[in-house]
Amino acid sequence: MAGTPLLTPAIVLGSLRYAESSRIVRLATREYGVQSAIAKGALRPRSRFGAALQLLSEGHAHLLPSRSSDLHTLVAFDLVATHSGLARNLERFGAASALAEVATRFVPPVANLALYDQLRHDVELIELAPPDAIRVVALRAMWRLIIELGLGPTVSRCVRDAVSLPAGAVALSLREGGFLCAACAGLGATTRLGPQDRADLVALLGSHLELPLLTDRQAAAHRRLLVRWIWEHLGDTSMPALESWSAARS
Amino acid sequence: MNVLETLITEFARLPGVGRKTAQRLVYHLLQQPRERMETLAAAIAGVAERVHPCAECGQPTEDAVCDICRDPRRDAGLVCVVEEPSAVAVVERSGAFRGRYVVLGGRLSPLDGIGPDALRIDLLGRRLAGGDVREVILATNSSLEGEATATYLQQVLAGHPGVRVSRLARGLPVGGELEYVDGVTLTHALTAREELR
Ligand SMILES: [Zn+2]
Ligand SMILES: [Zn+2]
Repeated sequence: MAGTPLLTPAIVLGSLRYAESSRIVRLATREYGVQSAIAKGALRPRSRFGAALQLLSEGHAHLLPSRSSDLHTLVAFDLVATHSGLARNLERFGAASALAEVATRFVPPVANLALYDQLRHDVELIELAPPDAIRVVALRAMWRLIIELGLGPTVSRCVRDAVSLPAGAVALSLREGGFLCAACAGLGATTRLGPQDRADLVALLGSHLELPLLTDRQAAAHRRLLVRWIWEHLGDTSMPALESWSAARS
Repeated sequence: MNVLETLITEFARLPGVGRKTAQRLVYHLLQQPRERMETLAAAIAGVAERVHPCAECGQPTEDAVCDICRDPRRDAGLVCVVEEPSAVAVVERSGAFRGRYVVLGGRLSPLDGIGPDALRIDLLGRRLAGGDVREVILATNSSLEGEATATYLQQVLAGHPGVRVSRLARGLPVGGELEYVDGVTLTHALTAREELR
């Protein structure tokens, strides 16, 4: 396989300087999941990568697979779009950074076309959402990524015994991965969601549902819940972008 | 770890130096006369002891205030904000700027855990509080992080309506050929085009 570059749509999730003039980039690719690649000479002023390897830039990556390591060579990156609008609003920038961080840490190096297309679309939504909707668009983008990873919460019935749930307040078990019926909720630690919080969470999780309107406080509570969910189900490594997004005021 | 290993590890931490290069550097030093190593060690110790950020602009200096900040011929009304001290050297080399600097010490980057508190925004605040500043040039990098930092600085500067705020123009490299310019750069160059008549 080595010798022939693989061509795949890709999004830049992050990069760090390497040696004199190169960059190591983390890419979400459509055909190979999240991969690392070295872009040799990317920092030189007339590098063929030009301005293409910006955070969250989107394009077609030409990857030369490495036979001996997980670090491939990025031969070229044909830019399709940059998302400079993310930098003109710090709420967009913070949310997109957090999304990139979660994708970098938890998306495996295997093809997941739906996840890639969703991620691509969500970066664009975060860039273009009306200012007062950024917070809910970002929350939904995060949940959608988690759902595509197969780790979303069960909210349609009791996660333990599949009993259907009456309307109103409900208990959420982080550890068990979803809502619990009254009989099951007695044992173990749960988070109590009032009727409105429950409806808002269900709306955030359902791509086909209308986005909820959240106050600053409600949005902050939903971000904290999401972070706790990520710690429980994905991992609790240090995630500075996620933490600063979750602690934001608006 | 023995001293040799420690030195190799420390060299390997430097930007642009891998473990292999670090080994090569250390073995090179071992072949030099002993004084060479002592001079190097003393130079590093001297920098560690005496160099610190300038109280006014944040760039490294041996004095309380650096040469540029002390120079009365420099225009105190013009402030250029950069991410790193290395950018000061680049702008100085151009000879095109006769104002003063603020070195932020980085750029906003949530992925690296760098928020506004980690930057020397206070230095800019102090310059503005002095009341002489007419214009602030935002010379952060044109990366997404550099642009976000410029956005943040614009918010800070919104509280100073009398101060002009500008951003370095991005565009064609001087001496470069159009056909080698990437699309993003060309878009910027078109947006920031100059009127000729
Ligand atoms: Zn149950
Ligand atoms: Zn100074």
